Amino acid sequence: MTDLMREYSRRQFLKVTGAASLALGMGGIAAACANVASSPSAPASAAPGAGSSSGAGASAAAAASAAPTGTFNWMTWGDHWYQAQVDTIAANNNIKANSTLFSDNIDAYTKLKQVGGQLDMVSGDALWVPHYFESGLIEAWDINSLKVASQLYSIARSFPIWTKPEGYLGYPFGWSPVQIYYDPAKVSPAPDSWEVLLDPKYKGRVVVEDQPVEIMAYMGKFAGVVNAYSMTPEEIAKAKDLLKQLKPNILRLANQATDTIAALKTGEAWIATGNLGTESRVKDQGGPDLNVFTPKEGTIGWMDSEMVVKGGANENLIMPFLELAEQAEYIAANFILNGRPLFNEKAYGILVNQGQQERADRFLYNKPETVQTMDLKGPGTSTQAVIDAFNEVFGS
Amino acid sequence: MTADTASAADVAPLAGPRPGLRRRLERAAPFLPGLAMLTLLFVIPMFIMLAFSFWKTNSSFDLVRDWNLNNYARFFNQPTYIRTFAKTLVMASAVTAAGLAISLPFTYFLVRYVSRRFQRAVLLAVIVPFWTSYLLRVYAWQAILGEKGALNQFLMATGIIQQPSTLFVYNDLAVFVVLIYVYFPFAALALYAALEKFDFTQLNAAQDLGARPDQAFRHILLPQIRTGIITACIFVFIPILGEFLTPTLVGGASGSLIANLIVNFTRQGQFPEGAALAIVIAVFVTILLVVFRRSLRVEDVVARG
Repeated sequence: MTDLMREYSRRQFLKVTGAASLALGMGGIAAACANVASSPSAPASAAPGAGSSSGAGASAAAAASAAPTGTFNWMTWGDHWYQAQVDTIAANNNIKANSTLFSDNIDAYTKLKQVGGQLDMVSGDALWVPHYFESGLIEAWDINSLKVASQLYSIARSFPIWTKPEGYLGYPFGWSPVQIYYDPAKVSPAPDSWEVLLDPKYKGRVVVEDQPVEIMAYMGKFAGVVNAYSMTPEEIAKAKDLLKQLKPNILRLANQATDTIAALKTGEAWIATGNLGTESRVKDQGGPDLNVFTPKEGTIGWMDSEMVVKGGANENLIMPFLELAEQAEYIAANFILNGRPLFNEKAYGILVNQGQQERADRFLYNKPETVQTMDLKGPGTSTQAVIDAFNEVFGS
Repeated sequence: MTADTASAADVAPLAGPRPGLRRRLERAAPFLPGLAMLTLLFVIPMFIMLAFSFWKTNSSFDLVRDWNLNNYARFFNQPTYIRTFAKTLVMASAVTAAGLAISLPFTYFLVRYVSRRFQRAVLLAVIVPFWTSYLLRVYAWQAILGEKGALNQFLMATGIIQQPSTLFVYNDLAVFVVLIYVYFPFAALALYAALEKFDFTQLNAAQDLGARPDQAFRHILLPQIRTGIITACIFVFIPILGEFLTPTLVGGASGSLIANLIVNFTRQGQFPEGAALAIVIAVFVTILLVVFRRSLRVEDVVARG
């Protein structure tokens, strides 16, 4: 092989590989775009209702009679559905939910602002729901137009924060206060206050989830703050002082609930904050018996709902889907799977009949009015200052 | 362009007459996908982040194009950010130094005393951890260093300690140890590449001429593997400036590095605030790279290539 030929071959090789790389890259981008473009839309033949949507406020009966079918896009938490449920609905009713998970309300809110009508339904917490509405991202609708809504506790159909003149802002799903869990073999006397988290006796034995705004919020509750998600500078300063006392007691900031459960199970942590049901999950995994209490100073919590995205390309599928997916049988099964109270009262009856009443009552399933005693999760006005305060304590 | 000039360019592409625009575009074609990728996925996002860093977030979590320097002022006015950044630099320096101290003798022994066949096997063992997820590897360290972990079990079984210790995890030491583990392969591979090209008979020659072993090491070996050392430093030091997962998982309440503070902002939708802190780090890294580059002479690479 001559030098000339070798040079020519290398150049050719570079051209070919360059062209191939370009083609692959462009192909990948095109495929991704095609996926984004096609996935929100139901096949025309499978969606007779498409294009003639009467809006999210259409009655369930109307939706059912039109029997729309297709695929819609749902951004939600992983515990709002389970595979057998969506598979059954897809098989029997040809309504498919294309689910995308998100980590937190702000994550979902930010994404929805970017993609808008590419999504059709999104899940959100408490005060985030009216925030979505005020930002023009979701629609209000008549919740009583859904037959399945009659299965809800009546309180869930009339939360003032979700009620607007235009209608209701979301379909209520589940809720939980943040409570304190502790190992009674290690923690005594039995605590009843946030103060136990700060007790020097428990240095390095407390696990809290790595959620700066929530941690500052319950430090605020301990300090007597009225609105834990919208604190004044003075209130933030008080919460920060308490946080400084909490820091030496923290074993770790748990990345997710499973980390909290693991730390309690192994006995590395004696005290933890968490959602309803944490003690059962620890016990189920072979951990110690834990006690639980709601601090006397009050607590923070969440209640979530499914919201209908304004201008969603497949919004005609949402009401029929909710009519099917929110049926008591599915909700009862979801409770057994995930263990936290849900708003479906009929499902509570099913749980009682299935011998699950003790567990359901322990998780306050039959006391949905508890949500009115919590400082509900929401987009507070003090987020930035709260994070600064948190960083000052947990930075160097 | 004529056939003659094309042939001339083909025969002597580096020394030939200045190629025309079309010719240069043809030559550049293979680089366009990479260039496009860098532009789309790095340069443009960096500029967007730079713009964000001068804006602010309102209470509705909307970005407001109110150009200001407040987010940068936060970094310099609130001592926690400077202190945490300084701690991050110390951690990155310590891990880099320890990584070099461990990987240099390792690769030296490997290249000089181990047969080619076994070298490959050992190198494979160094690379194997990359086949599992970073997250899993760091979680595994929780299981090793934890109160009920393997290390405590071993120390108790051998009678060295009577009670499980809580000192091995959820502190700065744990972050240091896990970061050394995570970044060791990067340092080892960079040094291996440099040492593999070194002619070890030069050390014998130096000693024959009267140099002590340490003198031969310092004056003969180190200068010739300088490129590998600098590459190892870059591969280890710079990524650690952005590390947040390891401190999150094994650092406990006191192990935060600067990236953890940035993440606290971005996870709550405070993007401009997080962007400004990230830009400060990016500028610092850029300055470091310029400094490194000045000490990384091109002829070093070419001469040993």
